[in-house]
Amino acid sequence: MKSIDEKTKNILRELQNNFKLETKPFKRIANEIDCSEDDVITTITHCIDNGIIRRIGIAVKPQKVGFSANALTAWKVPPEKIHEIGSELAEIKEVSHCYDRECPDGWDYNLFVMIHSKTKEDLDNIIKNISQKYDLKEYKVYNTVRELKKSSMKYF
Amino acid sequence: MECLLDEKDHEILQMLQNDFPLVSEPYKVIGDKLWIDEHSVISRIVRLFQNGVIRYIGPFFDSKKLGYSGCLVALDVTEERIDEVAEIINKYDEVTHNYLRDGSPNMWFTLITNSEEQKQKILSEIKEKTGIKEILLFSSKKYFKVKVDI
Repeated sequence: MKSIDEKTKNILRELQNNFKLETKPFKRIANEIDCSEDDVITTITHCIDNGIIRRIGIAVKPQKVGFSANALTAWKVPPEKIHEIGSELAEIKEVSHCYDRECPDGWDYNLFVMIHSKTKEDLDNIIKNISQKYDLKEYKVYNTVRELKKSSMKYF
Repeated sequence: MECLLDEKDHEILQMLQNDFPLVSEPYKVIGDKLWIDEHSVISRIVRLFQNGVIRYIGPFFDSKKLGYSGCLVALDVTEERIDEVAEIINKYDEVTHNYLRDGSPNMWFTLITNSEEQKQKILSEIKEKTGIKEILLFSSKKYFKVKVDI
């Protein structure tokens, strides 16, 4: 873990807990911890540069923006190709999550890809195209039936 | 289920997803680009929250860089026990997503912890409370993408 100084930690904690929809969201955070708005913005920019923050933004519910067919897919990808294929699949608009994962014994599908599309037919086509383009013949498809939980992790 | 969004809504969603302005007045910057005023931007975002399109606004941290590791966990749950087992699993703050899927295994959740002990503790508690002994664990090695493109 990267060592994070106290001031940065305070800013990140406020950002996590008190980011509000208002005209000056960073000013509120600055006021809460008694530093300047510039300090807050500079710290956030720095944390985006070093990767602690992936981005500031929104999470949307895929079903609400027209993606009604959703599936978790798992692909058997040779380890030497996983970086190339993972990076390319990440570019596909309908792909939201793409992870290389360690697998338990007896499980060969190491690349996990979450796909969202408007119809089941589109979804099947995207899967078929991935399979053909990258010559991946072995994969599993787990269609989403129901959301049981969705929350954000509190790190601070 | 799908909500009717106009072109401006889509543009706002895209800017919030891909290009949130890191400036004093971010919604003013978004409004300037889309030829609407700041307060219209904010009231549209409020509406998108109300109808469930947006579920969160704020920072997305890289759990790995903060000393946490994430894993995907899967287990098979019989139809009649789904709600009961989900309740046991979902009680943990470290469980951030849980989905019922078709096929086997059918219940898939994510677990974010900052130590191996904590991870093993939660998993063994889940095994004990549910009586389900066979749980598959997929630790994340590398992420290539985490974002819904709209």
